[in-house]
Amino acid sequence: MTSLLRRAAYRTFMFVAALALVVVIWEVYKAFGPVDGGKLFGARVLPRTSDYAMPHVADMFSRFNRPEVRGSDRTVFSAVLAGAWFSFRLSVVGFVIGGTLGIALAVLMARFRWVQRGVLPYLVVSQTVPLIALAPLVVSWGGKVEIGPFVWPRWLSAAVLGAFLAFFPIAVGTLRGLAAASASSVELMQSYAASWTKTLFKLRFPTAVPYMTPAFRLGASASVIGVVVAEISTGLKGGIGRLIIEYAREATGDPAKVYTAIFGAAALGLTMAGVVIAADVFVMRNRPKENIL
Amino acid sequence: MSAVSIRNVSKAFNEGKSNQVDALREVSLDVEPGEFISLIGPSGCGKSTLLRLIANLLEPTAGEVAVNGKSATQARLDQDYGMAFQQAGLFDWRTVRKNIELPLELKGWDKSARRARAEEMLQLVQLPEFADHYPWQLSGGMQQRIAIARALAAHPPLLLMDEPFGALDEMTREYMQGELLRICAATGTTVVFVTHSIPEAVYLSNRVVVMSPRPGRITKIVEVSLGAERTEDTRNRTPFFEAITAVREGLRGMHAAHVGLGNDDR
Repeated sequence: MTSLLRRAAYRTFMFVAALALVVVIWEVYKAFGPVDGGKLFGARVLPRTSDYAMPHVADMFSRFNRPEVRGSDRTVFSAVLAGAWFSFRLSVVGFVIGGTLGIALAVLMARFRWVQRGVLPYLVVSQTVPLIALAPLVVSWGGKVEIGPFVWPRWLSAAVLGAFLAFFPIAVGTLRGLAAASASSVELMQSYAASWTKTLFKLRFPTAVPYMTPAFRLGASASVIGVVVAEISTGLKGGIGRLIIEYAREATGDPAKVYTAIFGAAALGLTMAGVVIAADVFVMRNRPKENIL
Repeated sequence: MSAVSIRNVSKAFNEGKSNQVDALREVSLDVEPGEFISLIGPSGCGKSTLLRLIANLLEPTAGEVAVNGKSATQARLDQDYGMAFQQAGLFDWRTVRKNIELPLELKGWDKSARRARAEEMLQLVQLPEFADHYPWQLSGGMQQRIAIARALAAHPPLLLMDEPFGALDEMTREYMQGELLRICAATGTTVVFVTHSIPEAVYLSNRVVVMSPRPGRITKIVEVSLGAERTEDTRNRTPFFEAITAVREGLRGMHAAHVGLGNDDR
């Protein structure tokens, strides 16, 4: 336990140190870099160091405390927090949809080889479709969905796009995990005359857990990216993605502002990853330590 | 009634294709209740295949396998046998107790009955204090004892073992052999035991079945008359060495036949 704590402390320290290093590099370059940026054959390869192009880190953080717009009593911090919370909920919905779909697909592919042969290539292809191109399509499909009292809300399109990115790593990781049971443990279950379903729940899923947890981590961050990109490309109001474009438009007059939204998006991704890692540590607590990937 | 009855059993893999392998050809064997039988032979002699045919994990190409007077399929469905492999194959995510309870769970036993039986099995393999440990916290020999406890949890009349001590060091291995004999004597279980080790086969068995490859078949059956009571001292006695020699000759005879030498090269 103490070694676990020590490792956690070490990791936290390294995380903070890495962040501090980025800040230092940023400020040092800003102080000593060429004011007009570096040019190579007429193309700018190094950024300008003016306050418009590279605001001070301190300015970015102090911007959090000032009003979002002149005269408003809402600070940027509460605006970013509200936006991140909105997007977080969408990401969770996307992650849950994507996770359910991914696991269901993996089970089907593990059960029926023909499903695997037929579906897996399309799953790979699906991930090459640019999300930006897909977003308006999903929104317009969603607008046509009306089943009884259920009307497709606009935010659901963003969550679905999050799910679209999240399901793939989860499906592939789970499939790999379901196939990872050793031949002798499968024979053991056969010798107990256990059905395929019993084998699935008593052997294959537990074996798959160490493969599924890293897949879930990937899926969680993919869901955040999907939601934020979907918010940006469909102009969905309320989320951190929308804040990023809104603040970016003000970059000429208020260059530090857009960074607050970017920090918000980063915090959102970290929170999502943190939740999944905590769940991971919990389910893996009784496993042999070398199995933790 | 035989515990296991094998009648003219053949098993071919990739049957009818150019890469057909005759794993077993025309094998017959009867195992009496309470008997300890070892299958020994070089790689590819079909000893593991024969074990899997008894376990109904494979279907024979020809011939019949009966276990407990039933078809092998029915015996498997009724869980008339327990099985142990070279890798203990305990489930990492279950405690030792839960591992032993697995076959009972699948049979639909209720919780208190399962718990009581797991306790009994832990006593039998003399590891009661490890009930709530996880398998990866135990040594290889302990894991294998838990695997035996799991195999015997439902009190099957037959135990099938595929090189269960193959991954253990020599000292643990001899200790485990003694433990296995003690457990089988206590439970009256019939055992079919696959091994590579001649002393192991002789020490444990009433009969040692010597097999040869390409195609897999039984070449010799050595009766071991060491009596029911076997101790560490048994390993130093003349009948032990005589049986070892008999098994070795069985194996060597076939080796000589393979490389085209006579039997006079000893």
